[in-house]
Amino acid sequence: MSQLLGNVSCPFCGLLCDDLQLRVDDEAVSVEANGCERSRAQFSVRPPTAPACWVDGAQAPLEEGVARAASILASARLPLLLIAGTDVAGMRSVLELADRIGAVVDHAASDSLMRNVQVLQNTGWVTTTLSEVRNRADLVVLAGGDAVSRFPRLFERCVDNTSTLFDATRQSPELIFLGRQPPTHVAGRHIPVDVSRLSSLFAALRALRGGARLDADKVADVAVSDLSALLARMQQARYGVIVWSAADFAFPHAELAIQSLCELVQELNSTTRFCGLPLGGTDGDITAHQVMTWQAGVPLRTRFTRTGPEYDPHRYSTQRLLGDAEADALLYIAALDTTHRPPAVRIPTIVLGRAGMAPLQHSAVQIAVATPGIDQAGHLYRTDNVVAVRLRKVVARQLPGAHEILSRIVGCLPQERN
Amino acid sequence: MIRIKGGKIYDPAHGVDGEIRDVYVQDGRIVAAPAPDAPAAIEYDCSGMAIMAGAIDLHTHIGGGKVNIARAMLPEDHRYTRRARTALSRSGSGHAAPSTFAAGYRYAEMGYTACFEPAMLPSNARQAHMEMGDTPIVDKGAYALLGNDDFLLRLLAGKADPAIVRDYVAWTLRATQALGIKVVNPGGISAFKFNARKLDVDETAPYYGVTPRSILAALTQALHELGVPHPLHVHASNLGVPGNVDSTLATMDAAEGRPIHLTHIQFHSYGTEGDRKFSSGAARIAEAINARRNVTADVGQVLFGQTVTASGDSMAQYRNSRHAHPNKWVCMDIECDAGCGVVPFRYRDQNFVNALQWAIGLEIFLLVDDPWRVFLTTDHPNGAPFTGYPHLVRLLMDRTFRDERLAQIHPDAAAASTLGSIRREYSLYEIAIMTRAAPARILGLRDRGHLAPGAAADIVVYSDRPDREAMFARPEYVFKDGRLVAQRGQIVAVTRGATHTVKPEFDRSIERPLRDYFDRYHTVAFDNVPIDAGEMVECGSREILVQPCAGRT
Repeated sequence: MSQLLGNVSCPFCGLLCDDLQLRVDDEAVSVEANGCERSRAQFSVRPPTAPACWVDGAQAPLEEGVARAASILASARLPLLLIAGTDVAGMRSVLELADRIGAVVDHAASDSLMRNVQVLQNTGWVTTTLSEVRNRADLVVLAGGDAVSRFPRLFERCVDNTSTLFDATRQSPELIFLGRQPPTHVAGRHIPVDVSRLSSLFAALRALRGGARLDADKVADVAVSDLSALLARMQQARYGVIVWSAADFAFPHAELAIQSLCELVQELNSTTRFCGLPLGGTDGDITAHQVMTWQAGVPLRTRFTRTGPEYDPHRYSTQRLLGDAEADALLYIAALDTTHRPPAVRIPTIVLGRAGMAPLQHSAVQIAVATPGIDQAGHLYRTDNVVAVRLRKVVARQLPGAHEILSRIVGCLPQERN
Repeated sequence: MIRIKGGKIYDPAHGVDGEIRDVYVQDGRIVAAPAPDAPAAIEYDCSGMAIMAGAIDLHTHIGGGKVNIARAMLPEDHRYTRRARTALSRSGSGHAAPSTFAAGYRYAEMGYTACFEPAMLPSNARQAHMEMGDTPIVDKGAYALLGNDDFLLRLLAGKADPAIVRDYVAWTLRATQALGIKVVNPGGISAFKFNARKLDVDETAPYYGVTPRSILAALTQALHELGVPHPLHVHASNLGVPGNVDSTLATMDAAEGRPIHLTHIQFHSYGTEGDRKFSSGAARIAEAINARRNVTADVGQVLFGQTVTASGDSMAQYRNSRHAHPNKWVCMDIECDAGCGVVPFRYRDQNFVNALQWAIGLEIFLLVDDPWRVFLTTDHPNGAPFTGYPHLVRLLMDRTFRDERLAQIHPDAAAASTLGSIRREYSLYEIAIMTRAAPARILGLRDRGHLAPGAAADIVVYSDRPDREAMFARPEYVFKDGRLVAQRGQIVAVTRGATHTVKPEFDRSIERPLRDYFDRYHTVAFDNVPIDAGEMVECGSREILVQPCAGRT
């Protein structure tokens, strides 16, 4: 029987749009309205219905997979729990397990996420949220990337609005693309800058704002006169917003460029209102950060030691732990995107993958799990770090959630002595 | 059955002041003394010990977005304050911004059995409830923020019928699973988004043209008519501004005689006298509270040391960001709904202003006559982390100790304060009022904060030590719903707490304009705003306890 569902939340990028209309036909799901390319593709994945579990590449009963996973994790000296997509419930179970076995917890997107976290820890920031941008912004500066490649409906949801709370006939805010070329369908001004030189550009804007005269004609290949004009435009904005996706800042010490951006925003608030809008949240990276931080007190890249959680973003990064062969077991969770794959490593690997993910050759254990927002209700954090979006169950498939598998693994661990 | 035997009972809700009697517990409740031939009880010999109901913190920032920003931005607060896991309890960390598990355990170890998050943004309510769901043992509840949200300001600007405002307030309480309503810097957070930097009680807010006074009047009226037990919880205008004592008095009067609770009033009790143009307004504030029976306040005491301030008041926090220590800070504008600001802060006893803030808080505690109308808080973590409560109790109960501390602060601050001349010492009975009986009463929790048969068996047993700080830091026994959860400051069992809420009746036709409003202007659809009971359990609440409202319409 075919059924139409309205106002469904989409878990497949950090915008967490919650206005989708879905058609559910038995177990087939399709996006009828308010989708994007990614949501259409991800909602329509139709997994095998039977519960699936593989041990050493061969199909096995679920109990056997759970027991094997528990035995691998219990005997590991330094297990790594690497998240590539799970919701709040999944993260809560990840952390219960990590605390129990002394694991490191990291996210596959942490390289990007931690650029922002480091800025938060060094200088802080002034930021805003999607509904504020939608209703207040009169200037939107896109720093580094074009935003919509990673967050397809950003402009549709927050920029192209003809009517806002404070202006019934508003023009869309002025868009300035600082870095890459704007997409063809978007009307915006483009100031070409090599992303890796944005740090210098923001430093120059800050210096100009402070009244300094620059002993140069160009900074990052942008004429100083153009920079002065850009700064003036930013200072004239009533409510300016600068948007960045840390994933676009992929160069050494990119956090310093983001820091410079954030300090500029802080300073612009001495005369007008100006805010940052960090874009992220895809694959539950902000969700992982939030739950980790409230339960442990510290962000990802933390190890649960005998004395408590030890946060060290360098020592406990996935890249280093795997590169230096320090981790001796890997648990990888990707419950949102069937195309994600764990890093290829020689240590025993347990994979909790969204049902429909192909069986992997090198995993010791692989278990198919439910997708929050399709098979199960749940929560994911939106890009702005504020709104925990309610995910609904839209189809009745008999798939275990990642959190349920993790709880079963914890239940199979040897008795704990106090 | 449990028998708590031979202790001195401090149960101010029933006028019991140190009387020796036994307390009996069965199935999580306090019960009357059983017949002499009843089956043998588990006995706890508490001879010579002091027995009180579980303590209630009616204003502590334990859950929600800004607290988590504070945690994330301060790894230095967590590096040397780790809490190890045990077979019973989870690991954690943090002093000023503790992790949820650590906060729940520590509260329980100190004899607290209920904690109320005072600043739950409707747009961030799910996070607040999820963090509270991961705060073990203690019961929780939250006050939803209104008064800077565009929908209400728009209603007031359009001179809406008070019945519409009332329906909107009731809808918000239900949709967010809140126990009460708080307003932070009425209209000021919104004004900051329009680039205003201050908003006095009778100034008109940009765009809407309404005054903070009219916001306070509308919200106190709505809550009064809905019969919500907790009065409007007010973080007044001009937080931290020298001379704000005038706007604080104006805020009290904006309630027009209806119940109003002024929170962390210490931060709103500043004058402008003296060489430094910063002086204590405590005497005027205390006098005003004493004279107005409709006013209650919690203090928001400052204690010296490193902490972090986390507030919904983005306007004040932006202003205070220049004092950030360490030098980093966050401000956010949030969903045409609210805002927040997180500014780390170190209160120093040799800093004139900080030292005077400390003295002003204590002056207020000691100059307000009625312990039923002043509550013990540090506005955790804004004045100090809640772990400082035992120290604060000692400052109130022990004049010699207080005077010794007074002698150590900045001498000009000590000289500018009347604290040294105040002889009052709080009694155990008065402490039991301000930390148990009174908060239960003002929150409408009928079966908490007292020890009569029928009450929830949230019971704390203290060794009656002369060092009140040591006494209150590590009670002998803490029972939560009849279960022994902590003994001499150690967790011995871990339980999950319930969530206190109210569900006032209202006319559902308010949902039509709200649906249109959310679906047209917001980025969350109306259907996805409310949190239902099932979702609360998913968030981690054991159960929802609905406190009755006595509507007045």
